[in-house]
Amino acid sequence: MSDPTDNVVPFPLRGGRQDRELRGALRDLRSEIDRRFEVATSHESKPTFDWFQLFDELRHRLGTAGVAERSSEVDEFGLDVLTLVRSRVLLEFLVDRYWRVDFEGEAALPAEGPVLFVANHSGLFPWDGLVFAQCLQRVRPLWQRTRFLVEDWLVTLPFAQPLLARFGGVRACRENTDRLLRRGRSVLAFPEGEKGAAKDFRQRYQLQRFGRGGAVRAALECKVPLVPVGIVGAEETHPILFKSRLAGRAAGFPFLPVTPTFPLLGPLGLLPLPAKWSIEIGEPLDLDGSDDSAARDELYISRMNEQLRVRVRDLVARGLERRSSAWS
Amino acid sequence: MRIAITGLGTFLGQRLVQRLQSRQDPPTVVGLDRKRPLRLAGDLCFHDIDLTDPVADARLAEILCAERVETLVHLAFRRFPSRAVEYDHDLETLGSLHVMSACAAAKVQRLVVQSTTMAYGARPDNPNFLVESHPLRGHPAAHNVQNRVEVEEILRDWSPRHPELELSVLRHCWVMGPSYFDRTVEFFEAQRIPTVLGCDPLLQFVHEEDLLDVFERAAVESHPGVFNVVGRGVAPLSTLLAQAGKRALPIPRALLYRGAWLAAQSASGDPPEGFFDYLRYLWVADGERGWAEFGEPLYTTGEAWSAFVGSRRMRRYR
Repeated sequence: MSDPTDNVVPFPLRGGRQDRELRGALRDLRSEIDRRFEVATSHESKPTFDWFQLFDELRHRLGTAGVAERSSEVDEFGLDVLTLVRSRVLLEFLVDRYWRVDFEGEAALPAEGPVLFVANHSGLFPWDGLVFAQCLQRVRPLWQRTRFLVEDWLVTLPFAQPLLARFGGVRACRENTDRLLRRGRSVLAFPEGEKGAAKDFRQRYQLQRFGRGGAVRAALECKVPLVPVGIVGAEETHPILFKSRLAGRAAGFPFLPVTPTFPLLGPLGLLPLPAKWSIEIGEPLDLDGSDDSAARDELYISRMNEQLRVRVRDLVARGLERRSSAWS
Repeated sequence: MRIAITGLGTFLGQRLVQRLQSRQDPPTVVGLDRKRPLRLAGDLCFHDIDLTDPVADARLAEILCAERVETLVHLAFRRFPSRAVEYDHDLETLGSLHVMSACAAAKVQRLVVQSTTMAYGARPDNPNFLVESHPLRGHPAAHNVQNRVEVEEILRDWSPRHPELELSVLRHCWVMGPSYFDRTVEFFEAQRIPTVLGCDPLLQFVHEEDLLDVFERAAVESHPGVFNVVGRGVAPLSTLLAQAGKRALPIPRALLYRGAWLAAQSASGDPPEGFFDYLRYLWVADGERGWAEFGEPLYTTGEAWSAFVGSRRMRRYR
């Protein structure tokens, strides 16, 4: 199947200085043109303001509103390449300036995809998935964009689901993971699920239970490397002081989080805090996935699942040790 | 080759007859419906039969025996859910039961049943692509969908007990095209489309010609099994509406669902969830098996949609 995202030219690597130079040169060129043709324009009569033209223009703009900004094709999981291109500046800002992400351990990455990444989950919203996908795009520009798995409660949340899908979020379930991996797309899974994303600030960086080994099973069945990832810093973006299940239930959510800024500042309080992030990729797990019997051996899977959890925990602990403060 | 079609008067039935009769080796077509359609194509033996009749199975078996029918295509399903919930149940579920027992009695060799991917149900916990083996969960508020689920469940139990009869179940998604018309198409014909605020599900369509291709091949050739019949590709609802120049009218869910004005407007007796949940959650079916069996569809989802939009645009100028 020819997929719109398959042969998309990956975003150019961030070349801050080069970009600036290029823009400077273009600005010079424009001023030069303006200077040379100044005489020519000054001869023309001052254009009169045409209300009808404005009306036509406005009507045209209104009629096409929402079409130009949207690509007509999304991929089968709803990822919109145009959205990604358009929001690149914002994503780069978040990664470089806002959260100042340190991305380490890329040497351990396999050269070829797809890969199943497994990370610790934190921070209420799947910022960690988005940031990881963006960072990975830089070190592996030729890979297809990594999809991150999203918990169920976000899928039912109005506005969140379409937005997440555009950015490469996919509902976390085995069918989706298998399909993505078999189509050659890397996947970032959070086996902790909602328990990890929505834990209180007191329990920060304490890894929760790792499901029932779905990630290990998927990696075994699809025969892809299983790579642990430790994400440090996302925990501080939305420190949940406590959760109110009752208030949340009334609003139709599983719980209502209370953070230092939310609901104090209203919707503004949902903006993430500028913590310092570091992401470390570990060595791939050794899976003897040569025979299919391993994928059915429950004991083996649970042992591997535990090993995976330990590896992610160690990566997180290492990242915590290395940083001096959560904000710098 | 002798093919019987129940529900001759439906869009699919009428067009399928045309398709079959324009083949190189036109099969004999036996048309079955409650009443004679106004236009009947070519030489076609028509028998009127009411599938809601309690003894319909005996009469149907008689007809099938007399006509020595080898293949039966069962299309007697409603495209417009009506307020008559009991009648719909009699026609769709019990009617299918009659058809099944008549087929077994008349030693029909092949049975092709129309179904819909709506039977998977629009649920928040659906995977992005529903394969044929996914459980059919239906939607409690859409009685026609529930009927289809019921029919499929009965068929699943019934089919292994009749190994001599090969069964094809064709689950198609929403159909779009220049001339197809049903409740969904009617909904999308409006210039302002009410949608659920904050939800923008991926939709898929199949073009009417592709659907007919599949039904024609299933009627003439042997394709036992259950298949999703869908077009390639998916598109978000908002993109589709923007492409068509239609205005989305996003309404908060509570307002949309509880609004009495909408219930009064809706033509079916179902609460609005039965339809609007399909514009809220994902229910995209995986067509790989169907494409491998019946060949590549000619139109993608986007092309089917633009065929529909283009034809309606032309209609306005007529």
